Amino acid sequence: MTQTRAVEPWTLDPLQHFVGESAARLALLTTTSGQVIAQHGFTRAVDVMSAAALGAAIAASTSEIIRMLQEPAFRMLSHQGQSHGIFLARFGTPRGPMLALVVYGGDSSIGLVQLFFEQFTRDLAAACPAPEPAKPVLAADFERDLHESLAALFGR
Amino acid sequence: MTTGFQKALDRVTRVRGVRGAMLVAGDDGLVVAESLMEGVRGNALAALAASLAKRFRRASETAACGLPQFIHLQASQGSLLAAPAPSGMLLVVVAEADINVGLARLEMLKAGEAIA
Amino acid sequence: MTDDVRALSAELARDPGSLVFVALGEALRVRGRLDAAAKVALAGLEHHPNLADGHDLYARIVADAGDVERAADEWSIALALDPHHAGAHKGLGFANFQRGDLDAALEHLELALAADPTDQSTVQALHAVRQAAQQAASDPGAGASVERPAVFAGLEGADSGLLLVDPQGRVLAGGLRAQGGPDVAEEVAAYLAGVSQEADRSARLLELGEWRWIMAEGDAGHLHLSAPSASALLLLVRDKSVPSGRLAILAARAAEVARRWLEGQTL
Repeated sequence: MTQTRAVEPWTLDPLQHFVGESAARLALLTTTSGQVIAQHGFTRAVDVMSAAALGAAIAASTSEIIRMLQEPAFRMLSHQGQSHGIFLARFGTPRGPMLALVVYGGDSSIGLVQLFFEQFTRDLAAACPAPEPAKPVLAADFERDLHESLAALFGR
Repeated sequence: MTTGFQKALDRVTRVRGVRGAMLVAGDDGLVVAESLMEGVRGNALAALAASLAKRFRRASETAACGLPQFIHLQASQGSLLAAPAPSGMLLVVVAEADINVGLARLEMLKAGEAIA
Repeated sequence: MTDDVRALSAELARDPGSLVFVALGEALRVRGRLDAAAKVALAGLEHHPNLADGHDLYARIVADAGDVERAADEWSIALALDPHHAGAHKGLGFANFQRGDLDAALEHLELALAADPTDQSTVQALHAVRQAAQQAASDPGAGASVERPAVFAGLEGADSGLLLVDPQGRVLAGGLRAQGGPDVAEEVAAYLAGVSQEADRSARLLELGEWRWIMAEGDAGHLHLSAPSASALLLLVRDKSVPSGRLAILAARAAEVARRWLEGQTL
């Protein structure tokens, strides 16, 4: 009953499979700049947009610390709370790097999330259509894209 | 400490039929130390065994049987054994289907004591 | 499509930002059209993300679909938006009762009643939960007199240590008492569904073939879980003095009895 929705339809099946196996409560797939690609479990656009922005900011700031330490690129972070855990990862796809933000409860674990996340990234790579040629990004396009994304993510 | 973990695992893997032994963070399902034969997926073993143990623990405690001290899953082509270890860890063994479970159990309990 | 659903749908089509989505979602929910109800609720929440009634509606829909934890999350959001929301308190009362947390259930139902003293369903729910709490306090074994088929008659522990459940975690036959005391059959059955799913998945992903049984030695007792058929799980529970080898023999006997009974049920 909890909805899984995607702006990019090819991400839907891999995300649904990942959520089913990992028992994730919330899952959010975004670009590294925080543009939402797919989501599971969110009921409010405001929450999705906040989570996407925060996830992208965390990944960006962690990447910067990592760069200062001259370590390899940011891959993942996790936090275990009392009743929920958070997992944030950056991974590559033929469409470019993406971020995944996953929230799980006591019926799952970081081990299960990581295990099925590996499969998820492989499934995404397999499902990804050929890359499209890059287009210039205009402010008007961005606004329209944002509204279209929200419509796709919440079925309006 | 890691060497201590490794010694304890090696003791278990010497039992005939054992394909791998590992220490797993029980709540997280992450690998702490491992001694595995080639082909055994450590991260999958850790995550799945911890999840199975957690789920079985709920049933066992509700049935007033207390915390499981030894779990044995028997499958057609292999066995999965698990026992609690100190500091919330779980000692997990994957083995052939016809393993001498009594011996493996004994070595697992000894390994658990050695880690403590 | 019934008239009220048609009228409400038309109104919402005319004005997608209308609050009529709450009434339409509820009308669809009570008719059991949960997918359609969820779509209406989610679309409505997009226009009104801070409407407690909208979250209450979505919570009731997902609760009907069996996801009580998700429903509890939504009711919590509704309460964060409106701390006196009677529906959300009532819902959390229900969710806590389902979890077996009677104290929390009572607290939420009392708050629900304070918010809406005229709601008879809250009064009845409060009465039922108070009775359950009193029963649990005075007699832990109370409520154990559920009539179940005497499938294991003649076997040791037929109604206190042998439990046959379906893959969805519902009791089919037998019984289970914690140390001979309270009936824990329903609760343990619910957990067994998850154990069996995890056993299936572990055996598959670790390439161990099909799982046959799981045995656990606990601090205070031993358990043996097997699947006598594709549509049933059998749990045998014994005192820790029973050695694991004997446990396996007892489980094999009980599984045979269960198989015969299950075959009879499908004829």
